[in-house]
Amino acid sequence: MNFENKTGKIGRTKAVALTIILMTAAVTGCLSSESENDNSLVIVTYDVYALSDEMISTFENQTGIEVEMVKLADSGSILSYLIQQKGTGANDLAIGLDNTYLQTAIDFDLLSESQTDIKGISSEAYSPYEGKLAIPFDMGHICLNYDSSIVDGVNLSVPTSLWNLTEEEWRGKVALPSPMSSSPGRGFMLATLDYFEYTTDSYHGFDTWWSSMRDNDVIITPGWSEAYEIHYTGGYGEYMPGYVGDAHITVSYCHSPGVEAWYNGNWTKSASLDLDRASFFQVEYASVVQGGNAENADLFIEYLLSPEVNALMPTQNMMYSVLEGQDLPEEGGYRHHSIVPDQNANITSMAISLNIDAWLDRWNSAMTEGE
Amino acid sequence: MGPGTYRLILGIRSLAIAAFLLLIASPIALAVLRLIGVAGANPGAWIETLDGNYMSAGAIEFTFLQSILSSLATISVGLPVAWLLGRYDWRMQSMIRAVLTVPFVMPSIIAAMGILTLTGDSALGIRSDEGTWFWTLIIAHAWFNMSLVIRFCEPILATLDPSMEEQLRLLPAGRTISGRIRHLWLPVLIPPLSASFCMSFVFSFTSFALVRWITIRDNTLESVMAISSPSAGIEGYMAFTSEIVLASSLIQFAVLSASLWLASRIQRELQRQYPLAPARVARGRFDYGWVFMAPALLFSIAPILSVAIGSVRVRTVESGRVADTWSLDGWEVARDGSFSMVPLSDAMANSILYATISLVVSMPLGYCIASAIHSLEGTNRRLSEALDFATMAPFAFSAAMIGLGVTLGVTKLDPAAFSQFWPLPALAHVMLTTPFAIRIMLTGLRSIDREYDETARVLGMGPLERLTRVRIPLMKGPITVAAIFCLAMSLGEFGASFIVATNSDWATLPLLADSWRGMPMNPLAEAASNAVATALAVMAILLFAAAERARSNERGGMF
Repeated sequence: MNFENKTGKIGRTKAVALTIILMTAAVTGCLSSESENDNSLVIVTYDVYALSDEMISTFENQTGIEVEMVKLADSGSILSYLIQQKGTGANDLAIGLDNTYLQTAIDFDLLSESQTDIKGISSEAYSPYEGKLAIPFDMGHICLNYDSSIVDGVNLSVPTSLWNLTEEEWRGKVALPSPMSSSPGRGFMLATLDYFEYTTDSYHGFDTWWSSMRDNDVIITPGWSEAYEIHYTGGYGEYMPGYVGDAHITVSYCHSPGVEAWYNGNWTKSASLDLDRASFFQVEYASVVQGGNAENADLFIEYLLSPEVNALMPTQNMMYSVLEGQDLPEEGGYRHHSIVPDQNANITSMAISLNIDAWLDRWNSAMTEGE
Repeated sequence: MGPGTYRLILGIRSLAIAAFLLLIASPIALAVLRLIGVAGANPGAWIETLDGNYMSAGAIEFTFLQSILSSLATISVGLPVAWLLGRYDWRMQSMIRAVLTVPFVMPSIIAAMGILTLTGDSALGIRSDEGTWFWTLIIAHAWFNMSLVIRFCEPILATLDPSMEEQLRLLPAGRTISGRIRHLWLPVLIPPLSASFCMSFVFSFTSFALVRWITIRDNTLESVMAISSPSAGIEGYMAFTSEIVLASSLIQFAVLSASLWLASRIQRELQRQYPLAPARVARGRFDYGWVFMAPALLFSIAPILSVAIGSVRVRTVESGRVADTWSLDGWEVARDGSFSMVPLSDAMANSILYATISLVVSMPLGYCIASAIHSLEGTNRRLSEALDFATMAPFAFSAAMIGLGVTLGVTKLDPAAFSQFWPLPALAHVMLTTPFAIRIMLTGLRSIDREYDETARVLGMGPLERLTRVRIPLMKGPITVAAIFCLAMSLGEFGASFIVATNSDWATLPLLADSWRGMPMNPLAEAASNAVATALAVMAILLFAAAERARSNERGGMF
């Protein structure tokens, strides 16, 4: 840099000052500007596979709206991010909040009502939440999956109760994602609350079961993928690098065996375990973010819920479509190997929002105390 | 020097120190205040939560245990190599030294990917045994930090005045090997070994990428902080994560401060002890030396090579059978990117841009502060020591804490910047690189004989002329090394970027390698991850080669 200009030494000072101002700007954020472009749409999401390149490009071409993504780790991270960004107007649409996090987002006043009037969404998809602050776009049932080649009644018995998993034959052979850091893990923990018939003052069964699982060397992983890919013997993980394969039962979706079969030419050794109230019905939502560009967000919601896009959920996103009349495809044994549980756990979104901290506390105590 | 010029220099230096405090201290201070606002100001309760939460239980013990064992393993591996390198002559000596020290400049994500590939089914095949994970981590840390031992010990071994050993051999106490070890080598080597132990301990203590990928379920305090970061600092929501972050950072700060203080004391001792020859002493060759040196060289390059090989090996599954095929498919998907992954070129552009910003900011800032400390050393020693310590303080904050400092600190001032101001990750990089730039240039300034400056002043040169015609030419080596380290550190930075770069368009090469590795149900994910890591490794090696050329200081030390 040549400092020998007509201002002499002041040039140097200016250069230093400019550098500092530039970096100070980073700290104060004064160089940032809220999205003022009517032709843009900022979507906060995680790796929702339904949002493919092709799908986004089609939307951009159809509407002229430029899509920008903020991609986070999971549903919980979306909620945290929205809370931190509250009031900035920087984000327009959140895709991927599920019914375990939705009510908290509503309580924090993070979402705006959608003005869309989308027809054809099934009553089942609306069952956890019927309002306009969140529009369902996919769904599925979280339940236990087991490796039917090992859990075959000879080597290991198919559990008929969650208590079976606390028995010696299951020692160290169950991998569950943590409810602290995983949505399916949280869904399953919520299911166990209902399964053990908790009441407001008694968590006896819930606490005892989780403590017993801990004593039976249950493998708790940070996320679903570690449990399913690294530890579970029944899934595609055995073909992945880093596979350990020490667990024959894990938490996934009740239609995960169908996905396995669909990928493997109608063959899978994974099966879902249908125990009453040991499964959790999960719905994922698209929501207009408070202070964002609601018009563009609604356009995307309409597009996401259009039959041609939403019908592809089972193959693009490995989840059920929320539209009436849509089901999993027959091809590749997808539907054949997927079950719909007879009775999901019955825990309302409101109850989750009110009690989730206390429940996570109880789970934590059960898993850590008396070790 | 006229009073006007003096005031100008003083003003620039004060401005630099103020900028340093603003850029580096204020985000962390804001973050800590915000976390305390959520969690309360009760350190006892923070630590209780840290130890009582299933997510973080055992992290304190695990962090200490693996750090101590990693540091011991580092010494065990590094010392024999440093001995061989320092005590014997080798063909292609500098090339060997460069190969042995290259792991230290490798971004941690490359080490993680390389070790995973090396222990996986296609190589050693021990990955499927969970019992190997802990020791894999220890060896990975030893691989990463081995060069510290070489850098600290080898120069002393190579340049120690040979007459010392010769004289000792004549004395009764030095006639046996054990006697010479006790009376010469232990006293000589304990300071550099202690310094390398301290530094290895620091780096293992703050390990994140390696822990994230190798031990998975066991967390260090650093990885606990990274996991807890998304929900930390939010009023009325998952307050326990704020407590966990505060407890982790408090423990880290205390432990790292003590370790760094100790390392710095030892390094100072190191500089003033034994009679050293002005250059390397020729000592002859070790006939069977290659029996030991060849495995050491292989150990150094194996993870890097395995990353490169892994980038062209694709795992295919047909009818339940797994087969490896060789193709460039991994490179192609990494190049093209997808909805979930930015293309390789975008990540490379981000990495280069962030590294350039780090360089442009850290270097002048680092020089001004280093020269302020240096000039205060002659006039106000206490202030200079205080400033010296203050500029070392960021070392005691881990990358995760710096990342949190940026996210929580900046979002407190302007939340929109968090997702919209693309240079934001560069701020975290500047916070990490500036203290390094200061340290390197301060060492350079201290090595300049003050008489040169004095003579130039007597000859009538003004401050600017002395800077451009005396100091900068004499400081060419340290400045180049500092610049290259700024670039290399920024390019490989993972922990802070992992927290700060929430906008996927800001992904850097290390983040992209990490994302590809974590992508489920994609047979090309591992190869693509290795391809990105290979591209990063090539950039790091080029920078390292440049640094080696610029390095004129044969006295060793971390840099």
